[in-house]
Amino acid sequence: MHYPFWDQPIGYGVLMAVIAVFHVFVSHFAIGGGLYLVVNEQLARRAGDTERLAFLEQLSKFFAMVTLVAGALTGVGIWFVIGLLAPAATEALIHNYVWGWATEWTFFVVEIAAAMLYFYGWKRLTAKAHLTLGWIYFGAAWLSLVVINGILTFMLTPGRWLVTGDFWQGFFNPTYWPSLVLRTGVCVMLAGLYALLVASRLEAGDFKARTVRLAAGWAVVGLAVIALAQAWYWKAIPAAVTARALETMPTPVRAIVLSLWLAAALGAVGMALVILAPRRFGTAAALAFMALGMAWFGAFEWSRESLRKPYILTGYMYGNGAEVAETANYRRDGFLPQITFRTGDDGADLFRHACRSCHTLDGYKALRPALAGADRAYILALIQGAHLLRGNMPPFLGTPREAGLIADHLYQRTDHRTLAAIYPLDGLALGRRAYDLRCGKCHAVGTASDKAKSLAGQSAEDLSGMLDMAASLGEGMPAYTGDAAERKALVAYLQTLSQGGKP
Amino acid sequence: MTLPDYHFISAPLWLVTALHLLTLTLHLAAMSCLLGGTLIALWAGVRKQWPAPDAAGFARVLPAATAATVSLGVAPLLFLQLVYPRQIYAATIVSGWFWLAVIGAVIMAYYALYRTSFQAHRTGQVSLGLLALAALGLLYTSLVYSSVFALAEQPDVLRALYAKDQSGWVWNPAVGAYGLRWLHMVLGALTVGGFFVSVLGRKSPAMAATGRAALVGGMAAAAAVGFLYLVSLDTYLDTYLGPYMRTPAMPVLVVALALALAALHLHSRKRLALAGLCLFLSVFGMVYLRHVLRLVRLRGSFDLAAWRIAPQWSPFLLFLVCFILMLVVLVWMARLFFRPEPEVETQRKHQP
Ligand code: HEC
Ligand code: HEC
Repeated sequence: MHYPFWDQPIGYGVLMAVIAVFHVFVSHFAIGGGLYLVVNEQLARRAGDTERLAFLEQLSKFFAMVTLVAGALTGVGIWFVIGLLAPAATEALIHNYVWGWATEWTFFVVEIAAAMLYFYGWKRLTAKAHLTLGWIYFGAAWLSLVVINGILTFMLTPGRWLVTGDFWQGFFNPTYWPSLVLRTGVCVMLAGLYALLVASRLEAGDFKARTVRLAAGWAVVGLAVIALAQAWYWKAIPAAVTARALETMPTPVRAIVLSLWLAAALGAVGMALVILAPRRFGTAAALAFMALGMAWFGAFEWSRESLRKPYILTGYMYGNGAEVAETANYRRDGFLPQITFRTGDDGADLFRHACRSCHTLDGYKALRPALAGADRAYILALIQGAHLLRGNMPPFLGTPREAGLIADHLYQRTDHRTLAAIYPLDGLALGRRAYDLRCGKCHAVGTASDKAKSLAGQSAEDLSGMLDMAASLGEGMPAYTGDAAERKALVAYLQTLSQGGKP
Repeated sequence: MTLPDYHFISAPLWLVTALHLLTLTLHLAAMSCLLGGTLIALWAGVRKQWPAPDAAGFARVLPAATAATVSLGVAPLLFLQLVYPRQIYAATIVSGWFWLAVIGAVIMAYYALYRTSFQAHRTGQVSLGLLALAALGLLYTSLVYSSVFALAEQPDVLRALYAKDQSGWVWNPAVGAYGLRWLHMVLGALTVGGFFVSVLGRKSPAMAATGRAALVGGMAAAAAVGFLYLVSLDTYLDTYLGPYMRTPAMPVLVVALALALAALHLHSRKRLALAGLCLFLSVFGMVYLRHVLRLVRLRGSFDLAAWRIAPQWSPFLLFLVCFILMLVVLVWMARLFFRPEPEVETQRKHQP
């Protein structure tokens, strides 16, 4: 609330994802790739395998370009982006963990310097000196993960820190160790995938076959570590968090399931490559394999981020920057006194600070289409019941007057015609629309708040009567404020709800 | 349950400030070698002043200078965000797109410099187009930094700008307030870059001459523009310049100028190491002046002393140990790299 709000149309989630996904990839590769290079250099030197040494030298050029430039700068880029998108959370993290970050920085400097010298030192240095630089590089890179992992996991599971504020308790939080093992596995797996990509460009033959087998072996080993660590990780998250996620967030849960399938596919292809050790292995195949790995990692990271909802710092700060510790103040005085950068339009300012960090009007998680056909009273009810909606949203903590200002702001920007006029639908199809607008936002079909069972077998009159007294059915359940045509279609649809909307 | 409060600084202020200013000086030194070096190489290239092998040799150092600039820049930005979050995040958000584009600009410059370096290695020629591209990216970055950090020091302007436009496309319109400041930084970079060129090119008369010209000319121009910048604050004489005069800034300014002149003198005597030290200390003094000026300009809206101090000594100790280890490892690696042991020659025969 103490910061201006960057009102850009792309949507915070998208912008963050674009940079983060790229960086997370490159940075894990930077660690695993370093290990891959030194381990194989050591083996090759021992065996006097000049062909492999030449291959590694070539690999190290690609590696240096990717990690030194793209890796380092997208890392800085993420830092820039979180400062723009979530300044309050960044501020809180930096104040608690500045010495963690400063320590990571020392490893980062060593890592960058060692990578450059290693890359330029193939011809210049003795074998021993060169290998030493390689190990220093890998050590520093992995140590920077050791540090940053503490801060990343803190965001999801701050543990005892919430009570004591102690640096180390927050750092070595409940998911610290499983996450460290998991990410180390990711590094190894990605190294294998990248090495495969480079190997795919070798000429067909024995050397290629050996290289492919070795690289695929790395991927499989990394994946095995990941599989074990992921189970451990899931167990380490407080049960309340995982249970709520499974209940209220169908999409991230699907992502988790998807990630398991992707991991299985990766494992199968990897094993096949190890066993068959193909002499031919094209770049397209390597790219496809790499894409599979990225899809897996993307699904994993995204579901992990989603688990944290509605918080950005679990139990401490909500996704929109509202602070849990300020709840009483917000409820009493509202958000406005705390919003220091004002534009003169209070509704817009409130909307930005309460909702806009997760929603856009027309783009990512767009609200204009989601609210088409809604009346002001209903929009107001949704705002005040935000925590009841699917998606695990933060509660609206401001005053009732402020909720009204946001409702006005949204209502002025949405389509006011009836549902039937907006969508050329009738009958059950119109009823389904009405349900999506008026009920499904809270009672999403297939989730814990699905009402299909309790509505099953009721007559049209009963259902219409139920709508009349909707506001009294539960704390936060809004009154029914749709028009008669919409009501008729909705009732018809409700009668079919327990059969999945089929007559 | 009362939740922990994050509005605190986890070390005494003097310590954080010292680390901030020290790492910022290191960053500026590396940045100056990079920006100044790139501009000078471009200039020398256009005027065909350097023999091709010299130019190629110099181009091959620039990626390392970029790496140093970026990695040394992380720490001061961290300390800046630690102490001045309200100012810094606000200014970067208001100019969000321009700020974010810095990442793209630096990546572009970095790759351009790498390409230049590889090409120089292969063909012995330096591509002026690529150098110009790199210079463009670096100049853009420097301009954004000057404009955004100047904005951060004007909370009222910032508020007014945001009230009109929340899109992140706001470019600090008070060019007068930071144009000179930016020019001063670029000229300072030319000065230090000139020194850097003259050191690397000490065996090449052409490079040494260009380097020296940039050093002397850059320093004179930087001093003149710096002075103009201070006088331009005259518009707010009562608010800024008066209080500024009453801080330790003036004696520091005198010492920093003396150190700069000493650097010139030592440089002409070919005592390069000592000249470099004087130059570095002079930049350190300037960084201190800049720091004091910021505090003076923020008076009324921000008071350093208002921070709650709650030291976290054990993590700090960890940092300190790692910081020292970092220095040791860096020196050790540099020695390993630049002074290969005698057996290298014999060993190399067994290598591929
Ligand atoms: C922490 C992030 C976050 C914040 C803050 C937030 N929401 Fe949401 N919201 C979500 C998510 C996630 C969903 C689920 C979207 C989905 O399933 O596609 C959602 C869903 C919704 C929906 C239903 C959308 C649909 O497609 O049916 C509405 C309406 C909504 N939010 C309104 C608001 C309003 C109004 C505010 C501000 C008072 C707000 N949200 C604040 C994350 C957030
Ligand atoms: C803003 C969120 C929200 C919306 C929108 C909403 N409800 Fe509810 N509803 C609730 C809450 C909260 C409860 C009480 C807790 C519970 O039973 O899940 C509830 C309770 C109910 C119940 C009684 C629960 C039971 O098992 O007896 C029914 C039936 C119901 N809602 C149907 C509907 C229908 C039909 C609509 C669409 C017209 C609708 N709700 C729209 C939040 C909402």
